[in-house]
Amino acid sequence: MSVIIESFDLTRKFGNLTAVEDLNVRVKKGEILGFLGPNGAGKTTSIRMLAGTIAPTKGYAVVAGIRPDKEVEKLHEIIGLLTETPGFYERLTAKENLLYFARFYRINSDLQVDKYLKKMDLWERRNHKVGTFSKGMKQRLALARALVHEPEVLFLDEPTAGLDPKSAREVRQLILKLREEGRTIFLSTHNLEEAELLCDRIAVFRTKLVVLDTPYNLRNSLFQRQVIVELEAVDDNIVNRVKGLDFVLNVGKDGRQLIIELKDFDDNRPALIKCIVESNGRIQSVFEKKHSLEEIYLTLIKEGGGMEHEGR
Amino acid sequence: MREDKAQRRKRIINIIGKEWKSTFGNLNSALFITLLPLIITAQAVILIYLVMKFAGAEVLVKTLLGKGMESWLTTFPALGELPLIERFQVFFFAQFPFYLLLIPVMVAVSFATFSIVEEKQEGTLEPLLATPVRTWELLSGKALAGAIPSLLITWFCAGLFLAGIIGMGSGHLLKYILNAQWFISLFLLVPLFSLLAFILGVIASSRANDPKTAQNIAILVVLPILAIIGGQLIGFTVFTLARLFFLSIIAGVLNLFVLRAAVRLFQRESIVVRWR
Repeated sequence: MSVIIESFDLTRKFGNLTAVEDLNVRVKKGEILGFLGPNGAGKTTSIRMLAGTIAPTKGYAVVAGIRPDKEVEKLHEIIGLLTETPGFYERLTAKENLLYFARFYRINSDLQVDKYLKKMDLWERRNHKVGTFSKGMKQRLALARALVHEPEVLFLDEPTAGLDPKSAREVRQLILKLREEGRTIFLSTHNLEEAELLCDRIAVFRTKLVVLDTPYNLRNSLFQRQVIVELEAVDDNIVNRVKGLDFVLNVGKDGRQLIIELKDFDDNRPALIKCIVESNGRIQSVFEKKHSLEEIYLTLIKEGGGMEHEGR
Repeated sequence: MREDKAQRRKRIINIIGKEWKSTFGNLNSALFITLLPLIITAQAVILIYLVMKFAGAEVLVKTLLGKGMESWLTTFPALGELPLIERFQVFFFAQFPFYLLLIPVMVAVSFATFSIVEEKQEGTLEPLLATPVRTWELLSGKALAGAIPSLLITWFCAGLFLAGIIGMGSGHLLKYILNAQWFISLFLLVPLFSLLAFILGVIASSRANDPKTAQNIAILVVLPILAIIGGQLIGFTVFTLARLFFLSIIAGVLNLFVLRAAVRLFQRESIVVRWR
């Protein structure tokens, strides 16, 4: 897959404060990249630089072959930006708002506006003033605005922030549909569940890039894989036999559960089960302990910039 | 190239259309923009009528206005052929083009502040700047959206004032009023002051967070206008043709200076990062 967003030492300072430092990131065409970080980490500033609404202090970016700092108007023809606070002219109707923005592009604005009002399930309310809309409806309208010119690349800054669970779910479903359409999405969020659900890869960011990888690789690089074996009863004989296996790194006990860390997890798991069965252990269930993205995130943020790596 | 030009024109027209829809869709701003000029005009006509009717030329001549009248006479000796009361009438009528400057100033300030502060309050500037619109197109669209109605209303009020003079039975004095100064004021000073007020409105709006504060700052532009009117009425100065041209040049130069400041403030980056 080709790279559609690439940044080279992208840096932004505001006076003495460094908001973003040496951001080097590559996003493949058609993927959703989650940009994860705490409040004030510089996520919005990074998006603004990539979308060309502010200039970097150092470094540069290339988005769909265009440099945001050189050809911003050309860039804006092909990208869509959902800002953190998607403002609208509250006294105008949904259709009037969308038409106003659509007319800045070289598109058939009437046709596109109608298409996206229907797609975002706002057709029935098209002639209502935006001031009367709920947060969820406004967010759907903001997505319609970001999409009305059919951009290749979408920058979404906290798309579900402040939404109720139902509206947030609707927005997430819309984002997944957009990926199916082949659009590249740069998604800034601090919602870990959302990032895990939507993103192909995740960049953890705090002023600078801490790590960038798939959720699967992030888990494996940070935590030893663990298998949890639930038994009818746990006795010392079973524990000692398991501990005696040369591929077992660690064994813990939690009620009727054994929590075991293995070398070569996938290869040695059958041998482990066999050993437990031979030790007269009556197995109720076996599953792998999955560390949540929250655990990964908190570990990374705690570690700070200590482990920069990028899985591509 | 031609396509680009057409696209630019389309974008500016789009901005003008939206501005008018927003402004005239808001009862407060629509009333302010349409009623205020009529009130200013009616006030002038009524004031002149009342002063002439109840004060009389003999009383006026003993006041500071008498001194103003004398200075006026030295510049426009043709007025000497008129009776004293009519001299005073012409003297008052001739102040109207300056008084009229208040209209484009107030309308332009109101347009600029309503339109930009609304964008700030609603948070629409950043999404707007993520479209291919250029910042100068945005500024031009907003300026034209304010300038076109403010000039039309001002000229309409000038016509209304002339009709008021005829209605007061002073139509025969029009030949003394409709001179070069009148037309320069209307067609040179009015657009220049309108633009100046608009730009100051933009600058004030970039710092203020509600239209009232922005208007309070920008409305300072009326002070020199009041000084001109006051200066003429008390005989401090008379705006001859040459002085009017000089005043126009000053307004033009001032426009260039404040326009530079506004363009700097109206950059994409400034709007996104600094406008709060």
